[in-house]
Amino acid sequence: MNRPARALSQGLWVCLSCRQLIDPPKGAGSCLCPRCGARVHPRIEGSVMLTWALTITGALLLIPANILPVMTVIYLGSGEPSTIIGGALELYHAGLWGIALIVFVASIAVPVMKLVGLVMLCLIVQLRLDVSPRQAMRVYRVVNAIGRWSLLDLFMISILVALVDMGAIAEVHAGPGSTAFATVVVVTMFAVRAFDPRLVWDMVAARERETLSAQDAARPETAPDTQNNHTENG
Amino acid sequence: MAQSPATQPPTSGQPETGSLPAATHWRRACHQCDLLLTRQAAPVGCKLLCPRCGASQHRNMERSIAHTAALSVSGLLLFIPTATLPLLEFSLFTFGAENTLMNGVQALFEAGYIWLACIVLFCSVLAPLGKFLLLAFISWGSAWWRLRKPVAKAVRWYLHLQEWGMLDVYMLGILVALVKMSDLGKMEVGPGLYCFVAMMVVASAVQVSFDPEVVWARLARRRPGPDAGRGAASPEVEQ
Repeated sequence: MNRPARALSQGLWVCLSCRQLIDPPKGAGSCLCPRCGARVHPRIEGSVMLTWALTITGALLLIPANILPVMTVIYLGSGEPSTIIGGALELYHAGLWGIALIVFVASIAVPVMKLVGLVMLCLIVQLRLDVSPRQAMRVYRVVNAIGRWSLLDLFMISILVALVDMGAIAEVHAGPGSTAFATVVVVTMFAVRAFDPRLVWDMVAARERETLSAQDAARPETAPDTQNNHTENG
Repeated sequence: MAQSPATQPPTSGQPETGSLPAATHWRRACHQCDLLLTRQAAPVGCKLLCPRCGASQHRNMERSIAHTAALSVSGLLLFIPTATLPLLEFSLFTFGAENTLMNGVQALFEAGYIWLACIVLFCSVLAPLGKFLLLAFISWGSAWWRLRKPVAKAVRWYLHLQEWGMLDVYMLGILVALVKMSDLGKMEVGPGLYCFVAMMVVASAVQVSFDPEVVWARLARRRPGPDAGRGAASPEVEQ
């Protein structure tokens, strides 16, 4: 029986800032990392609750972000406010489907995927769903990696507002939807930070322990004698 | 398959409290799945991956400190023309306007979108600039044991700032703006854009070359006292 050893079950913690292994003082709920000085908890404090709170905030803000206009382009006195989807569609109708696809992915697909991913992760941990932990980690990494690209639309707006400013001839205004959208991006980035992926593996370990104790209650927990570290050229 | 290096001297980037018991042969735990590992650092030029969840634990770049120092200073130098020269120039009939890193923020601020202006300012100017400054300080400051506390704080700040520097996203934003407005008027690329691209490349390169483990090992080597030089965090991490 070669079961992987977890740091927490050996009474060791990891500093999430410098990733050092720490032997915490007995009975303490948190301590300072002796190497980098960051506060270390065995797991992120209130991780699931905080992730839920930020995810729900993000989901609610996504509604005004998509309904309210993000930008108004006025050209020769005429122009209508456009929403995020409207902006992407406009590019598509203008024949610029490549750029339209980029805008669509960055400002519609990514935020929605991020929120769905976060809800999935929270549900997996909270309801102890029987999902492969590797799949859950894949979701976590995708959500983590794509988050920042949604700010693309806002950077574009800030560039255009400064660039196209010629009074009645041509002008670009920002709209109230852009504030909501910016907040969605920031809030979901914090939500990913708040989620502790180690909870997924804790759940797996707890489930393994249950099945093991059902099979053989007398067998003591054995630590593996060797742990293989994979190195890869990089 | 790397066997557990049981002969390795005990980890001691941590001088006073919280040091690991000498008996344990665990050197690291995966920050994403909490699996205990027997290796602390990857060999030079290699990457250490968690065998269970695949999270990247450590990437050992050659001459990390020297590269980080050089790249962060060149990033800071490139920041000057990027912030002052125009990135894009737009002209329509006889009117013309240009865009620099700062005047987009300024225009949003004047239009009353203060929160939005703050986010754009932070992600496109302050965070990248802060990252270069912190890395320059870390790579020079880690040579002195006396500066260990400010350096430790700087590393922590850097790790927090890391994902908020969005020069690459801003670059894509510039391209989208360029294409989107090209049928409206005449769009031209300003000289600042070339500096911006160079800065973006430098920012990505420095992010790859920076390795906090080397900084900790370097600080530990500078520790004064009888055991100076012996308590390096790991012999595999060079320089």
